[in-house]
Amino acid sequence: MRAVLKDGIGFFTPQGFLDGSSGNSFLSIDDIEATIAQNANMILVSLKKVIFFNRNGLDSFVKMFQKVRSANHCTVGFCDYDTKKYNAIINFYQDDLSFSLFKTQDIAMLFSANYKNQNKNILLYNEDKSQRAAMAIELHDNGHNPIVAQSLNEFNEKSNAENAYDIIITDTYLGQMGQKVATRVTGNAIIYTVSSFLDAEIGNTFNIAYHNNSLNVGFRLFIFDTYKVISMNVHALNFFSKLSSAGAEYNATICFVGMSFDKTPKEFKETLEDSGIMFFNQMDDILQNKELLEELGASSASNVKDKRAINKTTVTELPNFIDATVATIEMMTNSKAIKESANVSKMEIGSKDGKIASSIGFYGDMDGMIVLIFPIGIAKKACELLIGEETNDTELVLDTLAELVNIVGGKVKTLLADEKISVNITLPRTYPDIDSLLEIVQDKKGVQVDLSFNNDKFIFFLTR
Amino acid sequence: MIVAKIMYINIKYPIMITKETIDSFINKIPPAPKALKETLLHLNTGDLIKAANAAKEDKALSSYLKILVNKPIYGFKNEVSEVSQIFGILGVSRSRQAVYNYMMTLLSPSKWVLFKLNRVVFYNLQADLSMNWQKILTHLDIDDSDILSSISLLPASIIVSEALFCEKKKDVELLRSVNQIDLNTILQRLCGVDLFDICQQIAQKWEMPQKISDILQAASGLKPSEDEMTNRLGKWMHLLLFYTLSQSKYIQAELNDFIDFQIDYVSDIYEEFSNLMEIT
Repeated sequence: MRAVLKDGIGFFTPQGFLDGSSGNSFLSIDDIEATIAQNANMILVSLKKVIFFNRNGLDSFVKMFQKVRSANHCTVGFCDYDTKKYNAIINFYQDDLSFSLFKTQDIAMLFSANYKNQNKNILLYNEDKSQRAAMAIELHDNGHNPIVAQSLNEFNEKSNAENAYDIIITDTYLGQMGQKVATRVTGNAIIYTVSSFLDAEIGNTFNIAYHNNSLNVGFRLFIFDTYKVISMNVHALNFFSKLSSAGAEYNATICFVGMSFDKTPKEFKETLEDSGIMFFNQMDDILQNKELLEELGASSASNVKDKRAINKTTVTELPNFIDATVATIEMMTNSKAIKESANVSKMEIGSKDGKIASSIGFYGDMDGMIVLIFPIGIAKKACELLIGEETNDTELVLDTLAELVNIVGGKVKTLLADEKISVNITLPRTYPDIDSLLEIVQDKKGVQVDLSFNNDKFIFFLTR
Repeated sequence: MIVAKIMYINIKYPIMITKETIDSFINKIPPAPKALKETLLHLNTGDLIKAANAAKEDKALSSYLKILVNKPIYGFKNEVSEVSQIFGILGVSRSRQAVYNYMMTLLSPSKWVLFKLNRVVFYNLQADLSMNWQKILTHLDIDDSDILSSISLLPASIIVSEALFCEKKKDVELLRSVNQIDLNTILQRLCGVDLFDICQQIAQKWEMPQKISDILQAASGLKPSEDEMTNRLGKWMHLLLFYTLSQSKYIQAELNDFIDFQIDYVSDIYEEFSNLMEIT
């Protein structure tokens, strides 16, 4: 079974009846590993479509959860159930509950470090006091505003208030939470979440290839959310110093937010500052300060390293890239593509009005970046298949476009793999207008292919 | 050099699935063979001997009936090999159901691509569904030949999915890796018709009774029938489908999530179903 990956969470959704004989067939360790390889930091089995389960059925998942957790340090558990199912699971496992339970996918996302919609007002209740506290801390660390009801009466009273809360959390249990270096993109900044004790292990858990390729595709601001870091040793100090020095070649900035030096030598801070790392107390000190964001280079891409030429390897594989893109857009719009022209040049867009764009980087045996520029009409049409209806909500279209570009990236990966070329893909980026795209690519030379879908112009641009 | 190479790129991509693809699929369905039609005609009049004689004329049908009824789920101790014997044991209604099951196999591909199925697993699926559907109808105290046969059309939804999506397997997988969307919804959003509408067209082409199509549409879980009995049967059939597709062999065939299970639709019959199937 394949997972749907959303905001760093891999959701598996079995359907029907779950017992000892079927449980192992629904999910394999390979399925989970494949999902983790795509940067998932939480693996959840949705019980939304499961009408019956017994202990044996759940056990087959739980055994896999334990293996995956110990190998990959990610959060594992179940989601999407009603109170009856929640009570059944609690009853099955009682004091042996090592996994997490999230009543809905929306609630699970609040606990994912990759979740981008922060500042949610959340009412929560759990009869276990330590669970209430653990949830409040996690939610607060993830940038939300948790309100904890200390008793069922208080919860009932508060939950009756209309529109007071964005989300209400009940029937949720936090097992061991993940320790992976989670990644999320906020605007043009990439936020990494680190926690606990930072030591030599950071070199293994931090995805350096992903980081380097984020630099290549134009990200310049990297924020380490360090609220949950207890201490750092000299190995981690060296790691971050080197990371910062390497990023300096790209004009990149690394910031630490919320780092406490209670149990870390104070002189470490000076060393890190000497290597260019900046320190902030609160995430909002950066993200809510637009001037500072600009100053830190979040939306600037100009530097020497970026101007890498398109090379023969990339051009040789061009048909694969175009195949992947065109086939995906054709699939999503159910319309036919006609190629109008192809050139090696800097990007030429013509009119900037009514266009949105997205990009995705790839790296491995070869590297580069695919940029897709859509007339808003095509973008909406392409997203309709995923959304299920027409929409004028630009934010929703941009979010869905990111999913679409993910499909393109996945298809590129598959097509190249057929030719024994192994690549990974970065998170997709979207651009609400052409100016924000040009900040990244205007000086880059690449292959531009102009396509037409039902007479609407669409631009494919491949660069490095 | 680079520019010259680019100019040779030729774009010829098939579009996903269109109404024309569906029409072409329907048009390619052959009419029911003569021997089959005659067999059904005699079964409809209750003449098992004439029906068996007609069925013997079609070697593939005879062979299929033999394979089907000798599956363990049918529970016969000794091998049954003569068509007349098979019809005699099954009786008119179940013989008719078996013949309709055979008709569905005429549509199934020789090699499955989208689903990890083969002839044996597909026949097992038909047998599992048929036997449990009979159990359900006995429980509901329904003795109706058309209703008993309606289960035969259900696997057509799997065959149609295979036919329409087999060349787009990787696209479908990618699409489903970013969005929880089933094949039925993809088809509905792309073409405005769903798998069950196409199954209905197949039923019409093969002159199956209307009642069979009506129950199948309700069994999609998405189109409740206004007729109370049809809707009730649709619920039982929908739940039976997912009860069956939760078996290990069908999960491994990747059938479990080809369409969406509508839990709410079947919630009022679940307890009764689980008692009947002795689910613990």
